[in-house]
Amino acid sequence: MILSLGLVRGVIGMIIGAILGMAVTMLIRIGMGLAAWGMEPVSVVGALVGSIGFLLGVGVLTDWIKWMQGKPTPMRHGPPEGKPAWTRYFGTDYNHKVIGIQYTVTGIALLFVAGTLALTFRLELVQPELQYIDTNTFNTFVGAHGIVMIGAILMGVGGLMNYLVPLMIGASDMAFPRLNAFGYWVAVPGALLIVTGIFVGGWDTGWTGYPPLSARAPLGVQMFFLGVYLIGLSSIVGSVNLLTTVTRMRTPGMSLFRMPIFVWAAVATSIIQLTATQLIGLSFLMVLIQRLLGMGFFDPNLTEHAIELNSPPGNVILFQHLFWFYSHPAVYVFILPGLGIISELLPVFCRKPLFGYKWIALSSITIALVGFLVWAHHMFAAGMEDYLRVPFMFATLLVAVPTGVKFFSWTGTLWRGKITLETPMLFVLGSISVFLIGGLTGPPNGTVSTDLFLHDTYWIVGHFHATMFGGFFFPFIAAVYYWFPKVTGRMYDERLGKIHFWISVPGFWVQSLTQAYIGLHGMRRRIADYDPALGIQTGHVLITIAGFAIGISMIIFVYNLVVSARRGEVAVANPWGSRSPEFQIPSPIPEHSYAQPFVVVGEPYDYALPGSTYVNMNPAGLAAGGGGGGGGGGGK
Amino acid sequence: MEEKKKAAYRVGVIVLVVLFVLTIGEYFVAQIPGGVISVLFIIAIAKSWAIMKYFMHITSLWSEEGGH
Amino acid sequence: MSVATPYVEPAHHEHHELPYSEQLRNNRLGLWLFFTSEAFMFIGLLSSRFYLWGNTRPDLDQTLGLIVTSVLLVSSFFMNRAETAIAHDDRPEFLRSLLITAALGIAFLVGVVGFEWQGHIGPSDGAYGAVLFGMTGMHALHVVSGVIFILIVWNNGRKGSFSAERHWGVEACAIWWHYVDLVWVFFYPALYLMGHVVHG
Ligand code: HEM
Ligand SMILES: [Cu+2]
Repeated sequence: MILSLGLVRGVIGMIIGAILGMAVTMLIRIGMGLAAWGMEPVSVVGALVGSIGFLLGVGVLTDWIKWMQGKPTPMRHGPPEGKPAWTRYFGTDYNHKVIGIQYTVTGIALLFVAGTLALTFRLELVQPELQYIDTNTFNTFVGAHGIVMIGAILMGVGGLMNYLVPLMIGASDMAFPRLNAFGYWVAVPGALLIVTGIFVGGWDTGWTGYPPLSARAPLGVQMFFLGVYLIGLSSIVGSVNLLTTVTRMRTPGMSLFRMPIFVWAAVATSIIQLTATQLIGLSFLMVLIQRLLGMGFFDPNLTEHAIELNSPPGNVILFQHLFWFYSHPAVYVFILPGLGIISELLPVFCRKPLFGYKWIALSSITIALVGFLVWAHHMFAAGMEDYLRVPFMFATLLVAVPTGVKFFSWTGTLWRGKITLETPMLFVLGSISVFLIGGLTGPPNGTVSTDLFLHDTYWIVGHFHATMFGGFFFPFIAAVYYWFPKVTGRMYDERLGKIHFWISVPGFWVQSLTQAYIGLHGMRRRIADYDPALGIQTGHVLITIAGFAIGISMIIFVYNLVVSARRGEVAVANPWGSRSPEFQIPSPIPEHSYAQPFVVVGEPYDYALPGSTYVNMNPAGLAAGGGGGGGGGGGK
Repeated sequence: MEEKKKAAYRVGVIVLVVLFVLTIGEYFVAQIPGGVISVLFIIAIAKSWAIMKYFMHITSLWSEEGGH
Repeated sequence: MSVATPYVEPAHHEHHELPYSEQLRNNRLGLWLFFTSEAFMFIGLLSSRFYLWGNTRPDLDQTLGLIVTSVLLVSSFFMNRAETAIAHDDRPEFLRSLLITAALGIAFLVGVVGFEWQGHIGPSDGAYGAVLFGMTGMHALHVVSGVIFILIVWNNGRKGSFSAERHWGVEACAIWWHYVDLVWVFFYPALYLMGHVVHG
């Protein structure tokens, strides 16, 4: 029965909830003597109640509701009873590995949604003037592309962290499995709302939703705000879970500086998600209620009565402060896990210890903390308080230091390594090259004098695409290939993987470098049209072709995954000779990962050091079986 | 057991009295014209510290025996 | 914040289920992390108040402010009393104190929504109205959630769900309520006391 799928019940719940919410609001409005139909309030309440309906339908609230009624709620394990095993991926499941896959697959699906939007407006930009879509659609697509991509990235990050961290630290699961499921499922109605927003008027504000424009944009902007709010909630509860898990549930011997490096990155990421996310939520909520109730946080106009009260007016700059207080640190949420993946994979494919493990670990934390002090570099041209410019410029340039530490360590690790170039490693190297472009285009934006020229041009577009592709996207792809045999028990097709690499990474070089170039020649970002006299049309054509190439390579990627998961060659437990504990157990990983807790007895990345061991899978001298020694091909 | 219980209830009363005195204090500090924001902040921090320590048992986060 | 720590021990206790004392400590840490997160939102509101109002404030009813603040303080006292009571197996006192806490919480809401919000400042009156209603509204939402939480715990307590040894539900409810009080410890001076009233 199709109704046995949680997702389907969720969507039905969402529709019923939305209708109910809208009806109740209309009744209340009639009771208050207003016209029954008020577009905004009715839709916003409908969307809110609909989201609750989704969660009820999917069943992530069931255990909590039972608890409220004083009923017992024993933990469920394994696939749902009496249904095929695959259905667990479409409903409430408490196993972190299932949730990790749910996040990852949702992330990849959203990448395709956002990518399609981008290719549409890229086609429009091939020629000057307007051909296929009108300006409002163009603006909506640009904004939706941005925010759906951010959603996709957050899902991808959630997938990596949920799947890998408990395995890496030897925890039986996340600390709060029910909250974990809630964290995933609350993001789904969020994504649905954002997509709905495109169809109910769209929004012409870009992903940043600045007032005063967003205070007047079409209804779609409210759906966008609500969707972001729900996805933010997902980030927050996910980080609560992750930080508790890492603090309290490490296996014996897993001291902080013996954790796999990715765990450090996950902790740094979670610190940002835990705290900063509240501020984007707040800033969007403030605009949302400004529109609904006329509360003028960002409205410079005063009513008669307000003037009598001597009230100061609202201020749009406040929004930007609140917004960027999240949205700058958020860029580190995107890249820290990716950089962690790079550091995690390099030693495996170089057969060498990670160069400067402690420095890398601490640089993740430093980047996260210093990242809180730089937000106003997005506001140099916004009419912000002048005295803030120089301090924020210095703070911004300071972040380059811990980032540089990472590059230094990667180079050190690569140096004289026995490098092998399987697909994951290719993507790691591609990531480093692309992140270098992003890193080098950053400091000119952080310097006030140059940023005043670069702000809001395609240079910025080139900059942040390079940072995100190098810092998240390509490392994420590398991670998917790398752990694919662990997750499915089968190998992906190496040849298709290499084709994917040789299309997407060079394609991306062309895309971002050309974006930066036409930016310097006067192309403004988020504008549907341009002056042919600027001489940048060839650039636009190149970017569009590169964009389509990347899109096609992604189809190859998904094809590879789907086909290999069914018919790929059966994988051995440890195809890469990794020392990490998750590679010492069978693939695919059993329901309860480790048959018994393992013990950490050495350093994680001492590849090629004879006789060194990281984990002892059979502590207390139990007879061999199951895991086997943790050397993990250390001497290979 | 009875003794301990009485002592625990007494802590609650003492904290309430202290918080109340500080609140009245805030109210009067605010009547002094000019330059009182910092004092008000310090009082608020003192109050929040008392709440976190005695009502919210923040120390149970790191103490070994796990609160009660 | 896995609130779902059942009182009844699940029949099949498998080895990967955490022991109660471990789960309890996880729960505490998780809830405090969530407080940290929420603190950033409340600090965001406080910063907005200083950004927009500067060193001024609207002319609010001082007596009302002092009354609602005191009511919330006393409610926190009773919440603490309820938690102490269950920790010492004093069931009648536990249930009584919970109800008093909820009643005081509702009294606080009546003070804010029923009186303060009906005063001479409306939500659309410039930055004064926006920030006043924004801060009190966001706080009031948390008070409402706390009152509901208290009533759920009271109802479960009535059925005997908590014991001196196992009452994470009560503890969570109590510190959640104190947290809501703690936020008001900062909001009260920021709204009613700091800065000066500008007379036209
Ligand atoms: C060397 C380090 C970096 C520096 C100095 C830097 C600096 C800047 C500055 C100053 C801006 C604002 C430019 C403007 O709008 O005028 C900017 C924009 C941006 N940066 Fe970076 N950045 C760095 C690394 C990163 C990283 C690692 C990411 C991560 C993914 C990133 C993502 C972004 C994004 C998304 C924007 C555009 C936001 C928008 O307006 O839509 N940057 N960068
Ligand atoms: Cu930034």
